[in-house]
Amino acid sequence: MSSYRLPSGGLVDRAASLAFTFDGKPMQGFAGDTLASALLANGQRLVGRSFKYHRPRGVLTAGAAEPNALVTIGTGGRTEPNTRATMQELYAGLEATSQNRWPSLAFDVGAVNGLLSPFLGAGFYYKTFMWPAGLWEKLYEPFIRKAAGLGRATYEADPDSYEKCWAHCDLLVVGAGVTGLAAALTAARSGARVIVADEHARAGGDLLSTTATLDGLAGPAYADAMLRELASHPEVQVLPRATVFGWYDGGVFGAVERVQKHVAAPDPRRPVERLWRIAARRAVLATGAEERPLVFGGNDIPGVMTAGAMRTYLNRHAVAPGRRAAVFTTNDSGYALAGDLERAGVEVAAVIDSRPDALAFPGLRARVIREAVVSDAHGGREIQAVDVWADGKRERIAVDSLAMAGGFNPVIALACQRGAKPRWSDAHGAFLAPDVDGLSLAGAAAGVTGLAACFESGVRQASAALSDLGFRPTPLATPVVEGDVVPAPAPPLWMIPGVKGKAFVDYQNDVHRADLDLAVREGYGHVELAKRYTTNGMATDQGKLSNVNAIGLLAKARGVSPGEVGTTTFRPFYTPVSFGALTGAHHGKHFQPVRKSPLHDWAARRGAVFVETGLWYRSSWFPRDGETTWRQSVDREVLNVRANVGLCDVSMLGKIEVCGPDAAEFLNRVYCNGFAKLPVGKARYGLMLREDGFIYDDGTTSRLAEDRYFMTTTTAYAAGVMTHLEFCAQALWPELDVRLASVTDQWAQMAVAGPKVREVLQRVVDEDLSNAAFPYLAARDVSLFGGRLRGRLFRISFSGELAYELAVPADYGESVADALMQAGEPFGIQPYGVEALGVLRIEKGHVTHNEINGTVVPADLGFARMVADKPDFVGKRMLSREALVAPGRPQLVGLVPLDPAASFRTGSHVLSKGAAATLENDQGYVTSTAFSPHVGSTIGLALVKNGASRHGEEVLVWNGLRNEMTTARLTSPVFVDPANEKLHA
Amino acid sequence: MRDSALMRRPAVASEPVRCGDLLLEAPGGSILQLLGKAGATPPSDMSLPEVAGASPGLRNAGPGQWFVVTDRELTGPEIDALAARLAPSLHVVDQSSGRFRIRVSGAPSRRMLAKGVALDLHPERFPVGTATSTLVGQIGTNLARTGQDSFELLVLRGFAQSLWDDLLLMSREFG
Amino acid sequence: MASRVPCPHCGLRPKEEFTIKGAALPRPAPDAGEAAWIEYVYLRENPRGAYDEFWHHTSGCRRWLVVSRNTLTHDVYGARDVALGGETQP
Repeated sequence: MSSYRLPSGGLVDRAASLAFTFDGKPMQGFAGDTLASALLANGQRLVGRSFKYHRPRGVLTAGAAEPNALVTIGTGGRTEPNTRATMQELYAGLEATSQNRWPSLAFDVGAVNGLLSPFLGAGFYYKTFMWPAGLWEKLYEPFIRKAAGLGRATYEADPDSYEKCWAHCDLLVVGAGVTGLAAALTAARSGARVIVADEHARAGGDLLSTTATLDGLAGPAYADAMLRELASHPEVQVLPRATVFGWYDGGVFGAVERVQKHVAAPDPRRPVERLWRIAARRAVLATGAEERPLVFGGNDIPGVMTAGAMRTYLNRHAVAPGRRAAVFTTNDSGYALAGDLERAGVEVAAVIDSRPDALAFPGLRARVIREAVVSDAHGGREIQAVDVWADGKRERIAVDSLAMAGGFNPVIALACQRGAKPRWSDAHGAFLAPDVDGLSLAGAAAGVTGLAACFESGVRQASAALSDLGFRPTPLATPVVEGDVVPAPAPPLWMIPGVKGKAFVDYQNDVHRADLDLAVREGYGHVELAKRYTTNGMATDQGKLSNVNAIGLLAKARGVSPGEVGTTTFRPFYTPVSFGALTGAHHGKHFQPVRKSPLHDWAARRGAVFVETGLWYRSSWFPRDGETTWRQSVDREVLNVRANVGLCDVSMLGKIEVCGPDAAEFLNRVYCNGFAKLPVGKARYGLMLREDGFIYDDGTTSRLAEDRYFMTTTTAYAAGVMTHLEFCAQALWPELDVRLASVTDQWAQMAVAGPKVREVLQRVVDEDLSNAAFPYLAARDVSLFGGRLRGRLFRISFSGELAYELAVPADYGESVADALMQAGEPFGIQPYGVEALGVLRIEKGHVTHNEINGTVVPADLGFARMVADKPDFVGKRMLSREALVAPGRPQLVGLVPLDPAASFRTGSHVLSKGAAATLENDQGYVTSTAFSPHVGSTIGLALVKNGASRHGEEVLVWNGLRNEMTTARLTSPVFVDPANEKLHA
Repeated sequence: MRDSALMRRPAVASEPVRCGDLLLEAPGGSILQLLGKAGATPPSDMSLPEVAGASPGLRNAGPGQWFVVTDRELTGPEIDALAARLAPSLHVVDQSSGRFRIRVSGAPSRRMLAKGVALDLHPERFPVGTATSTLVGQIGTNLARTGQDSFELLVLRGFAQSLWDDLLLMSREFG
Repeated sequence: MASRVPCPHCGLRPKEEFTIKGAALPRPAPDAGEAAWIEYVYLRENPRGAYDEFWHHTSGCRRWLVVSRNTLTHDVYGARDVALGGETQP
């Protein structure tokens, strides 16, 4: 394999030789190479196999639209499949692997698919494998997936990091070719904040591959001078290696910056990719144009590439395409390449020009064949010859490379992502996009040709955007451009006569011309139908090269204009974006924030097992030595609360301060029970309803002062209740003067419960805690530790025992909890977790969101008498709806198995004794279950039709999922201290 | 128990962390939330003489609401005196434990915060003395600019460790 | 959906900071008939075009806004505080 590197020239650093491998084969390139240019320089023209037919494929372009040269980069966790070799910068140690071939790139068994091609044509999914359906999973799909494929993703974890970042600017310029640089510099000199993003490693676009001069400077030097000036403006940010992939509502653009995808060993402190969200007041799209391939037979054989790409490799990377080239052109741009090839010493066998009236090009030695086309290219793994049709005669010309100059498609994807429709311009022979919503197109993206005109266009569009924003634009003078070949727009050449071989339209999805003809014949000629029927434009390149050719061919076949065929819908992403970039830093430990109780470390020190509850980590139970199951720990904790005293962290309950002169009236309207007359220093259980009448949340609320309440909510609904209260205060009753503050995090709150609790608490709390001085439901500010700390004490009980909740400033929570444990030691105090808390509350018949599940009204839970007769409260009107007061509502009951050794599960259904398990016989369902050490068996709470009047009835508890049937008895939901003597002790 | 050791344990127990030119600190002190009527203008005397010795800073926290932050931990009587004077137009809620204060300073502060903050932190758009509530990544914070290159964040105590860890990650490239 | 919402108190903010409740409907009087309440609680237009919704600036000023937007074009026409007014355009 010989070198195609030219002895001199180009923008590669010949002093910096870079060793890399392709399919394990060692190769050399230079700094400034892309992987594609380095492969070509090494004579590696075959770089992959096609998707469906496994045809040999080579590099077709020099940019983002590349459909063929998709390779896998890297190894292990850094394996990145489907990387476009044309966009991958070369680095020392790069390991590239070809894809979709077996056993090897050169000899590929799958190429037999080419012989099967009659069966793999358009719509083959829908037709060939329709029947029998049973074979899909076993045969068809695995076969197709294996035969037609892309690279394989790794299962190893990605060792690199990613991040997201916001940016703001007056003007975003997408693309840093001559147009974009002119636009950006105009904006910079006008004092605007500018971001310029360019998808390539080096900004400059076509300035880097042209042989023209600007103000006497070579293109690259001119680009560098512009970049240097941009860098000197503090409010300008140039982002190389950054692809703007999406335009979203509100002037927000998404871009992905490949920060360290061009180094072998990324700096671990920096991300490999950064996802930018750019809020831009105006944007100029200077995204240039893609050269259109020409649709002739064998247009996919390695050695065939677009003329612009060939020129880039030749001039920028100093890589010759071969020894003897031909140029097939529909416009003047092919001649610029032909001239450059000859100057570089590559023989140009012919310029085949489809136009009858092409002008002679001065200085060109090559034979020019006018009014001619290439009908077929020949060759296996490399092109060997072309068939040229002219004057009705076929001539075979031996070549080892062929350039296609089929005209230009402006890159308008971003401009059309938010619904704007491209329109066909006959004058340009291309689809153009409208300027909309603060985004305008400039340069080749707007159909402009030639460096000078593009420069002017960039200046003009930037100036217009800046004037819009109130800046006084400082337009740049257009440089004197010499030696630029400015192609006048030429009519597109869709249908090439005399084609024999497969003429590819969509290279990546292996869609050829005959597929589109078939789609039209079978009635799928509409552009959106043809896309799905043929899969044209559905590959990872999103049809960058193929869509317009497909539209042109559909137009020909239907006898209409391309404008009438129209385009398919443009959507983000412009080019593929890695999941890593979209995830950013939010994975692993940083996946989502963790919410930690102020007593988290305290509980951890005591060996707590934690459970995730929303974002919170709650202590579940506290195992002791010798306990082998969680049940042992929980039973012990429960019994200890009933016998001695326990301490449970309830800090994660929602806590809200409700202040203001109208706080009482406000609470009276958000709770269904009365709060206006709650005395200062007292707590009350409250039920909040939704407007539809069902219960929303519950909790205790205490009046600390005339105009100040302290509300608690359930943990799960803490945020929701706060938002709901704000809605009530702001949207429903703005006339009430009420102010709300979330104090959930301010207080470490401990439930201290059990018959011996008073002795323990009294050692910490300064105030008299006797039943007379601090009765049931008392709620007051208290002084602790001899006046050294202030807290709040509430005599409330979830467990049914004599109990208090003590709140102290969270930063002191651990100290106070430690002091209580120390004070409680003589009384047998033990910490208990949410599992024990759950058992205790079920034993006492207290409800949680297991019961308040969105289907119950107060009466269903035995709270009918709580609903106050007030003029208004949230849910009042709908609570009296017929269905909510009708007989036969589900009502809360207790449930015990007849056999204490038996048990049942939450979610099981309740059936009348002897009834079959049918929907009609359903009496209700079990909402909560626990093993009750107090009762000595499993107990449950259930919502059962007319349950309140059925205590004592024997029922069946049926679990259809597990086929379990348990006989049980309906009981009062209160299993412990039904007279509430303990609470008042 | 009356003589038990009372230790204040802030949500994040960390010494200041330096990442190159960036400095992350947890200054401690006190945080009070002032609750006014929505739409009310700030009271005429917000110089807070009762706590002047603790060099208070005032942070906007939405219509009618402010945070007062002090570098020194305020005493109960100091808070009471302030609350008494501001009543009834403002209610004072002690959030010294409920919010955690993080200070970020150094030249790359703005670049670091841009990784999590959607706001335009250009000094002309978000000048010194400005404060607002916003998301830093996934975590809600009250963000204030206290200097050209210094910011302070108030975050719910429960999220403080997560935010601190996130900020360290965002700062890594500057270290 | 709008990427950024013009909060009258906080300026343009990303949509992640907001919680959407739905149509900005007035709450009927407590003694309004059942039909009015059924309509308020359950019935919603699904307009193609202009729509007023309650948005809560959850991670910002915690105020409830009425955001006027176009469900078809995703344009945001403006937002005002539900109680304090102060219409702002993007």
